[in-house]
Amino acid sequence: MKVLVVEDEKGLAESIVEYLTREGFICEVANTFWQADEKISLYQYDCTIVDLTLPDGDGFDIVQTLKKIAAATGIIIISARNTLEDKIKGLEIGSDDYMTKPFHLSELNARVKSLIRRRSFGGNNDMIWKEIRVQLQSRKVFIGEKEAILSKKEYDLLLYFLANTDVALTKESIAEHLWGDHMDSYDSLDMVYSHIKNLRKKILERGGKDYIQSIYGIGYKFTAP
Amino acid sequence: MKLLQKTSRIYLFASLTIYVAVGIAFFWSIKYMIYDEVESRLKVEKRDFEAYVEEHDEWLDDAYFVENKIEVTPTHGNISDEVIFKDTVILNRYEGTLDPFRQVTFYASIDGDPHRVVIRKSMIQSYKLIEAISGIMIAFLALLMVGMFFFQRRLSGKIWQPFYESLANIKDFDWTKNKKLELPKSEITEFNELEDVMVKMASKMQHDYKSLKEFTENASHEMQTPLALINARVEQFIQTGDLGKEQTYWIEEIYHASRRISRLNQGLLLLAKIENQQFTDHENTDLSELAAAKLKDFEDIISHRNIQVNLHCDEKFIVNMSPALAEILIVNLVNNAIRHNHQNGELSIKTGTGFLEVSNTGNALRADPASLFNRFKKESASGESLGLGLAIVKQICDNYGLQIAYHNHESLHKIQISV
Repeated sequence: MKVLVVEDEKGLAESIVEYLTREGFICEVANTFWQADEKISLYQYDCTIVDLTLPDGDGFDIVQTLKKIAAATGIIIISARNTLEDKIKGLEIGSDDYMTKPFHLSELNARVKSLIRRRSFGGNNDMIWKEIRVQLQSRKVFIGEKEAILSKKEYDLLLYFLANTDVALTKESIAEHLWGDHMDSYDSLDMVYSHIKNLRKKILERGGKDYIQSIYGIGYKFTAP
Repeated sequence: MKLLQKTSRIYLFASLTIYVAVGIAFFWSIKYMIYDEVESRLKVEKRDFEAYVEEHDEWLDDAYFVENKIEVTPTHGNISDEVIFKDTVILNRYEGTLDPFRQVTFYASIDGDPHRVVIRKSMIQSYKLIEAISGIMIAFLALLMVGMFFFQRRLSGKIWQPFYESLANIKDFDWTKNKKLELPKSEITEFNELEDVMVKMASKMQHDYKSLKEFTENASHEMQTPLALINARVEQFIQTGDLGKEQTYWIEEIYHASRRISRLNQGLLLLAKIENQQFTDHENTDLSELAAAKLKDFEDIISHRNIQVNLHCDEKFIVNMSPALAEILIVNLVNNAIRHNHQNGELSIKTGTGFLEVSNTGNALRADPASLFNRFKKESASGESLGLGLAIVKQICDNYGLQIAYHNHESLHKIQISV
């Protein structure tokens, strides 16, 4: 899976590339508008991550060009501009997602994966990890052969974990993934804890192993014990 | 009152006063002149009479036939020199009407005996003259006044025309757009000066608006990008796995602090944007419906804290405002009511025509209620609160002319928004 990262802040581009490379993506970076323009006209990408504010151009133009020459590419905008107009404009001209800076790399990773999955399988495939199988179409979860009935939040949480396996996830990133960023209350961290407890219980009850490892002071990691 | 109406009214009032005053003065001066003329004729006759009496030493009623009555009556005592002019009425022998006369009374000695002499002159013709002249003059004057009135009206209308055009253009002027304010040129210097000043002010407003808008955009970008970098690096750092307890604590602090700065930056920029009126889209938004819908986003935390929700949102509360701001308003109010609530507390939202009330149970307020809506006024000890939520709510209300009030009854806190 090839991903192009268009971001002028070199450090941030580096972080994104490093994170996504660990997740098995092949990443390329464009630091300027013209580099990005050249790359998208020469190569094919499964997903492009575009920053809107570039020193020599507007990210919206890249999105429009991409839509013209490579409609199959998934596009995620990452921008510091958080106005509704920008978000609406981004989606209108054909991007698939819009993330406001600062964002969690784990969240970006989850969105890239879900976007590629939607693009390549139409959301019609299963996510399988060890004995856990998630039917995305019907939103059903099976542990081995047994079905686990999850609440909406538990289901979202499981998908987030499955998109970020073997990675330490902060409590904040999980809370934000589940409730959006207006839930800034410290209660949300308690709520994360209780949802994780329930999810763990449901997996264990159906004969699964305990994959959720808590990391002191930071958050959780979904990994094989 | 409109300018033209006002000037017309003043003009009408002033001209009526002048008209009445001129009319009265005119009448009196005509009257004075006529009287003067009649009296001088009476004087002439008095002299004729005296000359006659001196010459003949007697007076015969038929000796001196004049159109006027001359009445001579013997009297007693000394002859005084006084001459008295006086108005009187005399019965008309033929028509039975009382006719006005002017009479002069004086004393004369005829043949040594004192006599009182009264000479009268009919005023009928004179009065008719006064009436006719006055009538004609008043009619002409009235015509002149009416003419002047309409002329003045038309003239004012024409002269003020550029002013009204400018006014209409100024009303239509929108400083959030790039279109410059254009005002019609006029022949009148004052209007041109006004136009210059207005155009300068308008372009200054547009410039200020634009530069503040650019500032908020730039500040947002320039700050959020490095914050995104800090966040990303922290996330990478925690992946290394072999962190000691202390390092974990430090990195957690860095992470928290950077997220806090980011939220603070967004909050302050939002305030600046609202203040700068950058939210220009307006829609009729039903806050009642929005509140009920937004409450669903908080379901998890409400059930987590076991808060009992009372929703009375049957009546519509429609405000013409930016939908984005309406959402921020409601979310901040609800967030506030949940944050300061306690476990097993209550939260109620009530709306009616023209008001929305959000109330919650919570600890007694320690700070001054008046400063509740100030920036960085924090009530809860929790470091999570930024102290911007209610300031943003207040700013939004101020922008749309909504009233916001805080009421406190024991442990119940209520924030009411009304038109």
